[in-house]
Amino acid sequence: MRSETIARVEALSYAYPDGPAAVRDVTFELSAGEIVALLGPSGSGKSSLLRALAGLVPHFHGGRFSGRVLVGGNDTRTTSPAQLAGTVASVFQDPEDQVVMTVVGNEVAFGLENLGADPATIWPRVEGALAAVGAGTLRERRTVELSGGELQRVCLAAALALEPRLLLLDEPTSQLDRAGADAFLAGVAAAGCAVVLSEQRVERVLDVADRVLYLEEGRLLFDGSVAEGREWLASRRPRYAAQEVFDAPVARPGEPLVEIEEVSFAYGSGPVVFDGVSLAVRRGEVVALEGPNGAGKSTLAKLAAGLLEPVSGTVLRSGRATYLSQDPGRYLVRETAIEEVALAVGGDQVRAQAALERFGLGFAVCRHPRDLSSGERERLGLAAVAVSQPDLLVLDEPTRGVDPDRRAELAAWMLAEAQSGKGVLVATHDAGLPAHRRVRVGAARREPVGAL
Amino acid sequence: MSPGPVAALLAAAAAAAFLTDRIWAVAVIVGVLLLVCLRAPADRRWPYLVGALVSGAGVIVLSPFLWSSGAGRLLWEGPTIPVLGTLDLSTDEIAAAVLSGARLTAVALAFSVYALLLDHDRLVASAGFARRSALAVALATRLVPTLERDAAGLAESVRGRGVELSGARGYATLLSPLVAGSLERASSLAEAMEARGYGRPGATRAPRPPWTWRDRLALAAAGVLVLLAVFVL
Repeated sequence: MRSETIARVEALSYAYPDGPAAVRDVTFELSAGEIVALLGPSGSGKSSLLRALAGLVPHFHGGRFSGRVLVGGNDTRTTSPAQLAGTVASVFQDPEDQVVMTVVGNEVAFGLENLGADPATIWPRVEGALAAVGAGTLRERRTVELSGGELQRVCLAAALALEPRLLLLDEPTSQLDRAGADAFLAGVAAAGCAVVLSEQRVERVLDVADRVLYLEEGRLLFDGSVAEGREWLASRRPRYAAQEVFDAPVARPGEPLVEIEEVSFAYGSGPVVFDGVSLAVRRGEVVALEGPNGAGKSTLAKLAAGLLEPVSGTVLRSGRATYLSQDPGRYLVRETAIEEVALAVGGDQVRAQAALERFGLGFAVCRHPRDLSSGERERLGLAAVAVSQPDLLVLDEPTRGVDPDRRAELAAWMLAEAQSGKGVLVATHDAGLPAHRRVRVGAARREPVGAL
Repeated sequence: MSPGPVAALLAAAAAAAFLTDRIWAVAVIVGVLLLVCLRAPADRRWPYLVGALVSGAGVIVLSPFLWSSGAGRLLWEGPTIPVLGTLDLSTDEIAAAVLSGARLTAVALAFSVYALLLDHDRLVASAGFARRSALAVALATRLVPTLERDAAGLAESVRGRGVELSGARGYATLLSPLVAGSLERASSLAEAMEARGYGRPGATRAPRPPWTWRDRLALAAAGVLVLLAVFVL
């Protein structure tokens, strides 16, 4: 027996105001209770399609819209996103950009209050939703004090509390470590409603999905079961079939660029982030810094780059280091792409132009960085730290939210930089990135967390 | 305690600091608010405390030079600066500056307590007729730490490229991207709120605990404080 259709997308085409087409002639149906993996490269139209299902396209964003989207029998052209809320619930990529309230319990209750839920049922539903995602103990905590992973679970609870028929998730695990992502996806699988899940961590998503949609340049290239999807991806888009594991060729490490000996660190009068850590990075090698959320990987990376100094222990640095922060696309500071890149080389636009072209951004020289897509912004961030040809490149979660093609390019670039005699230190959750050595940073804050 | 009476008490403290002319009374208000502020976590309270104390100290240091009372004992007379006039310093001006600086500190500390320790959500819920305005204030307050993190991220992004930021002029170059980033965040938040049904007619409120005797006492104390400042101090 065919299950109930919860959403129908008919010949949908959409373009943002003054932008090229983001979605082109897409047609599909969603059945109640099925989990759909929405795959495709950055900029392929996945987020736009999710917004169309939530009614945010065209109501919130404007633009050119043709075709029809029906959700729970409502035509999204005539039904506002607020009216669709409850039938549909969304969790976006960055939890910081969606949290409204100060206290976790109130945050989960916010949507229920908006929908006019019976006041007597609100707190029981809040508690049930928080328990379902393993966040029951967070109810009285302030949202500002939560980690990214905790906040993302709270956002999922806020969506589940609405008891939606369709749950839309836009790269929700991009900020989570493996354990956090697995726990999140287990919560999604248990939700019981139809789910459309856009992700770049393909393997993990395919394990929980019933069906695969693959988008490219706004077009739906594949729509089928997970088994069929795995075959199609393996033959047509092999990088999306399974997470690629990159090998690093044998290195001949040269002189040390940074030597960290028995350091401890704390931010101000806060708790100790790590204690008794040793680490060295030499010319010609890639060193991966791994560990769960909150273990201190970013802090150690900043110490190596010279952005922080330890409370105790020694850090010896030779040569020049540059540091690429997490989410670099958010931290761009100039009015044009070329000025952004030239900042690190005293305004030398010739070198900046060459770096932009090296990262496939030759077309964007005079564009404002904030007019670029998220993937392009990430590459602009890389160009801005690589342009000055530093001795040591420190990269903090560079594959976060990056599609498999860009990830492969990044891996090749890291190895090329190491082979040219630079040192590369990369803090990452991505165990498939190439590395000559891997250093585990432990979660136990007061114990030694890794030594070389 | 319910946030409504506490907010009223904080507003009364700020108002009393402006209504009284007695420096000791303002100093007591500043001291009490400072002690309350110290109950907030250290990593969250320091920007508020620095902001409150630096702005108050700034008024105390600068304002005696920038206006002339024409009264009190003249301690120093300096050059005449276009627009500003003659720079001078008198005992009367110093006393007035200390009072103004302490008042500003009291208001800033009252806001700090509000931002750091109050449950803004319950305040919004109890606002009733002005719920949208209260929500806007609560959101702005909640986004202060985010803004702070974004500012640190921007500075780190520049320093991470080997470019040192020096002086006020160096950091001022980050102001424009900081504002642009805030606008992006605001737009994303508005989108998320709409997707969660904000603005839909027929909204309800989750039940909140009723006021206790402490809440009533705080509200009464707020009224008494203002009356004291007007008629006694």
